[in-house]
Amino acid sequence: MKRTLLLIAVATILAATLPALQAQDQTPAKWSPPRTPDGHPDMQGMWARRGAAMAEANAPKSPLSEFGATGQPYPTVFNTGVSTPQAAAALTNRPSGIIEPANRVLPWRPEADAARREFLSHMIPPASLKYVEASARCVPPGLLGGDDRHPYQIVQRPGSFVLMYEYNHVTRVIHTDGRLHVGPNIRLYMGDSIGRWEGDTLVVDTTNFNDKTSFSQTIPYHSEALHTVERFTMVDPNIIDYQLTIEDPKLFTAPIRIAGTFAAAAKGSELMEFACAEGSQTLPNIFGFGLFPEQ
Amino acid sequence: MNLAYGNRQSYDERFMKKTMVLGFFLGTLLLAIPVWAQGPARAIPRTPDGKPDLNGVWQVLNAAAWDLEDHNASLRVPAGQSVVEGGEIPYQTAALAKKKENFQRRESADPAEAACYMPGVPRATYMPFPFEIIQNPKLITMSYEFGHTRRSIFTDGTPHPDGFPDFWMGDSRGKWEGDTLVVDVTNLDERTWLDHAGNHHSDALHVVERYTLMDPDHMLYEAALEDPKVFTRPWKISMPLYRRLEKNVKILEYECVQYLQEQKYGNAKPVVGAKP
Repeated sequence: MKRTLLLIAVATILAATLPALQAQDQTPAKWSPPRTPDGHPDMQGMWARRGAAMAEANAPKSPLSEFGATGQPYPTVFNTGVSTPQAAAALTNRPSGIIEPANRVLPWRPEADAARREFLSHMIPPASLKYVEASARCVPPGLLGGDDRHPYQIVQRPGSFVLMYEYNHVTRVIHTDGRLHVGPNIRLYMGDSIGRWEGDTLVVDTTNFNDKTSFSQTIPYHSEALHTVERFTMVDPNIIDYQLTIEDPKLFTAPIRIAGTFAAAAKGSELMEFACAEGSQTLPNIFGFGLFPEQ
Repeated sequence: MNLAYGNRQSYDERFMKKTMVLGFFLGTLLLAIPVWAQGPARAIPRTPDGKPDLNGVWQVLNAAAWDLEDHNASLRVPAGQSVVEGGEIPYQTAALAKKKENFQRRESADPAEAACYMPGVPRATYMPFPFEIIQNPKLITMSYEFGHTRRSIFTDGTPHPDGFPDFWMGDSRGKWEGDTLVVDVTNLDERTWLDHAGNHHSDALHVVERYTLMDPDHMLYEAALEDPKVFTRPWKISMPLYRRLEKNVKILEYECVQYLQEQKYGNAKPVVGAKP
């Protein structure tokens, strides 16, 4: 009898404490992404980008806002919807926009800030070709200019990670084969990107920019000294965490960090053709003549 | 048998044996020479799913961009032999007249050269610029350095969608026939030209391309064109594609639209009161 009671007591105590013990031993299982044959996270597919915008605090009034181009919610066109309610919900809790400096007041060099405000004042109406907003001239987007209304596609091969923008049909082949940047006299709208894996994060270093792309509607250009570092980390099947660090010592006194997200795009998304120059009437309207006799 | 020689073979038997051995040896050598002369066979690379691996940077080495047919040189235009099977493009009468008119106006009317528009298919393949093939089991992407033009070739078994508009680079659906990638291209915008000489087509153009690796560094590119509004029958072009073998080769930028805008509008004054 005593032994039975003792056994029951021990069993009861164990039953009460075992779940707590198990809970202490168990850490939540960390999600691990599917992998490509060379062992890296498989981020291939169609993605909708959100949040990676250079929206500075105390921005000067953009002359373009007179045309309703700034701060208006864009309608969802083509395939920029996200794949599931879970992906949409995840987007609301993710960091977005300028995260460093936290107050989003950019560390301008005073003379550079003054110069860009002066530049903005000549944009509407545009005083000449270079004052026409970059996207209206079909300028390649650089690293920030690609917008959220057009999806992205990732393809991975041994030795390269390819990020394709529907916007202006730009393709970034990011070589991960250990090669160096191209020589300093080669200047590119999209810069020259080389990548390496740090664990499960793809780190992309981009240099060799020309000075002809725009950061945002209130930062209409940057310098050739621009250097960026992006970090792509897949955190769940529907979400790639995206961090972008910008250094342009001719404009800013310190680096700026921007956060965004690539969320899995709606089912059936494909990259559609984005024919910019072929359909644009902007320059003929501004200057009164086209490129073709019949334009 | 001459017992004086014991078990040794007769002279005749030894001679025959030597001849047979020598003959066998020589025969093997003779059969092997053709293989030696070619060198070891260069197997084409394959992707993990067993298909030919077309990944890489490729470019043509001919004058087709200026004129698909036989043509002489002129200032800044190299001479070329026709890449058209049979030599000539089989135009209908009115279409031939239009071609000649295009040729006269080509410096201001060629949409690719005069306006930097996307060159269409098949012209994008033989522009004098490299392009990169980015291959994935369900999608093969062609990324052309000219104007960073790009097209997606869907190899996922999907058909051309109904109700799509025309695109400058068309709609491409591909499949493998043995080791040849066969690409069916429709929905091609009628405004593209086939070369700088004014060869043209209508919105009825249908192109079937074939990409076949001949060895790791050479691909045969063939394209069959049919357009019942312009040509009297289907016709075909073919040409080699050469792999760009430089170490660390990559597609750079030829931002045609930007250079042209600078040339045409760089010194222009906006029209007063114009809305963009």
